[in-house]
Amino acid sequence: MSATATAVSAQGSDSPFPLEKDDLLSAYRTMKTIREFEDRLHVDFARGDIPGFVHLYAGEEAAATGIMMHLTDEDRIASTHRGHGHCIAKGVSVHEMMGEIYGKVSGACRGKGGSMHIADLSKGMMGANGILGAGAPLACGAALAAKKLGHKGVGISFVGDGASNQGMFLESLNLAGVWELPVIFVVENNGYAESTSVDWAVASDSYVDRANGFGLPGVTVDGTDFFAVHEAAGEMIRRARDGGGPSLLECKMIRFHGHFEGDAQTYRAEGEVEDIRNNRDCIKMFADRVSEAGVISRVETDAVDAEVATLIDSAVEQAKAAPLPDTADLLTDVYVKY
Amino acid sequence: MSSPVVGIVANPISARDIRRVISYAGGLQITDRANMVLRILAGMAATGIKKTVIMPENAGLRGHLMRALTRSKNAGDGHFPEIRTLDMPVTGDATDTARAARIMREMEVAAIVVLGGDGTHRVVVANCGDIPIAGVSSGTNNAFPESREPTVTGLGVGLAVTGQVPPGIAFTANKRLDVMVNGSLEIALIDVAFVRERFVGSRAIWKTECFHELFVTFGSPGGIGMSSIAGLVAPVSRSDRFGRRIVFESPETASFAVRASIAPGLIAPVGIADVQTLQFDQPITPETRAGSIAFDGEREVTFGKADEVLVTLRDGAFRTIDIEACMAHAADKGCLVEQAEHQTKLKQVKGG
Repeated sequence: MSATATAVSAQGSDSPFPLEKDDLLSAYRTMKTIREFEDRLHVDFARGDIPGFVHLYAGEEAAATGIMMHLTDEDRIASTHRGHGHCIAKGVSVHEMMGEIYGKVSGACRGKGGSMHIADLSKGMMGANGILGAGAPLACGAALAAKKLGHKGVGISFVGDGASNQGMFLESLNLAGVWELPVIFVVENNGYAESTSVDWAVASDSYVDRANGFGLPGVTVDGTDFFAVHEAAGEMIRRARDGGGPSLLECKMIRFHGHFEGDAQTYRAEGEVEDIRNNRDCIKMFADRVSEAGVISRVETDAVDAEVATLIDSAVEQAKAAPLPDTADLLTDVYVKY
Repeated sequence: MSSPVVGIVANPISARDIRRVISYAGGLQITDRANMVLRILAGMAATGIKKTVIMPENAGLRGHLMRALTRSKNAGDGHFPEIRTLDMPVTGDATDTARAARIMREMEVAAIVVLGGDGTHRVVVANCGDIPIAGVSSGTNNAFPESREPTVTGLGVGLAVTGQVPPGIAFTANKRLDVMVNGSLEIALIDVAFVRERFVGSRAIWKTECFHELFVTFGSPGGIGMSSIAGLVAPVSRSDRFGRRIVFESPETASFAVRASIAPGLIAPVGIADVQTLQFDQPITPETRAGSIAFDGEREVTFGKADEVLVTLRDGAFRTIDIEACMAHAADKGCLVEQAEHQTKLKQVKGG
């Protein structure tokens, strides 16, 4: 009967994972880039080097990466105020992102937007967004365009657990259902709307129920498990591309840092952050799994770590060296020319 | 004599997985689940149950229950027993189910009513010891819990734990599959599937090309999920004194294949290489050398060539309440007849 196992494995590749080694390494590199990027901002912001506000995505890397690996530049995403992870996973240049956050002309939006307005349409990144819930109708628009143009693109809307209470988000679920749009609503549920626990702020907090109310199927996954997110998102995106319509994915996840940099996090239990850093670090869990399976060695992940550290060093160095926008730039890029 | 306390486990996280997208599985809304709990409570109250405990959750189920109970109390209608929420932290995943079942076991509740599918029932059984359970089908794959109106389940449970139905009729012993992975025990109530994917991912299993091997305690042709494959090939009932082991092969190369209902809404051809009978207490090493193990339809554990895995069928491993038998006994003995003189009338009707 050993022939049985041989017969089955012969149908696919030898990898025990749904991705080949190169793609697994790519996933690790993306997650590590997000972590390094955010951890560097955490330090530099505290030092007073960065203008404006930043909201860090560290701890949540598996969600953005697991979803974005299914997308091309033709697919469009609408991000949130906590958008750095989405940008990096969607392929936006970390040099341009860092420049933008430092408010320099080398930034993705020439330093005029800052952390909450990074966009790169060439990569299908429609923008981080300081208005809570405002990304959902944008993703519907992108999905409608894809449907009308017939190019099989999808729209992805990211929204937090708090912003999912916004009328715009609920209206978008309705619109997506009515127009059968190829859009996926991703609820990144990290348990806190700023400092308010979801237990206090969301009536019937099953986001799946909310989706069902508009005729959309909904799925909840462990957002710290790259493979869980990747698998569920893959099915939803394939379904949308094939004309199956919209759906909702709730990722239960955790953030390592506060709502914003400078948040004292007095609303979190004693030892909560330490516990999740030690026991629920999505990158560590990913690395352990691929290493235990003998697919990617520690030497290989260490090499990626070094490569990513160099990349972020270079991005920070370039951002610091770049000039600030000129006063004349105030009147440019206000309107788009058609 | 003090009134028996009955535990209720209703975890709102059940019925939320990927099978909603890949195969049109159902998803009961929170309010529907709360209403089911209320119907169970009403059934139990009608048999004399006065005290219940329920696991806490943060998805709105408790609020809906409490509003209904307050209305009932204000109206003085006596529809429901007292309901107390267990004092325990809520994590929002299956560990809440496990923790609640353990606490109920320590409290020595008379029975636990479980709302959910195969996965939730499995977690309860793994933690409740000898406490009998009664299942209410409300999960994704519901091979283990029978489909029945929750009101009647509440009645049957109440009749059983108040002693109105003798234990020999009320309680049934069930088979179980024990899986030892490097000495650590996992259990399954219905089936253990070995699949090639070496990651837990979204837990559900539906990619037939990854199926390697299956062990079942029972499998009905009319069932749903992995056990239905055994049901179609070589059925085995809940009360049969054996189980089944099936080894899969690609449908293209297998000597025969069956179209099985491997998940709600998902029917796929599955190639069969071998079928064996499982005997009690005989540990078996699976052929599968690496991959993941799905317990009652959900991937939980990954393993490789260096890991030692043993599967054993166990007899009399846990108890369930036989609701149908309880209700039949109640009808026969007039347990639900209102007044003594009506008992006589009932006997005359039956006799006549």
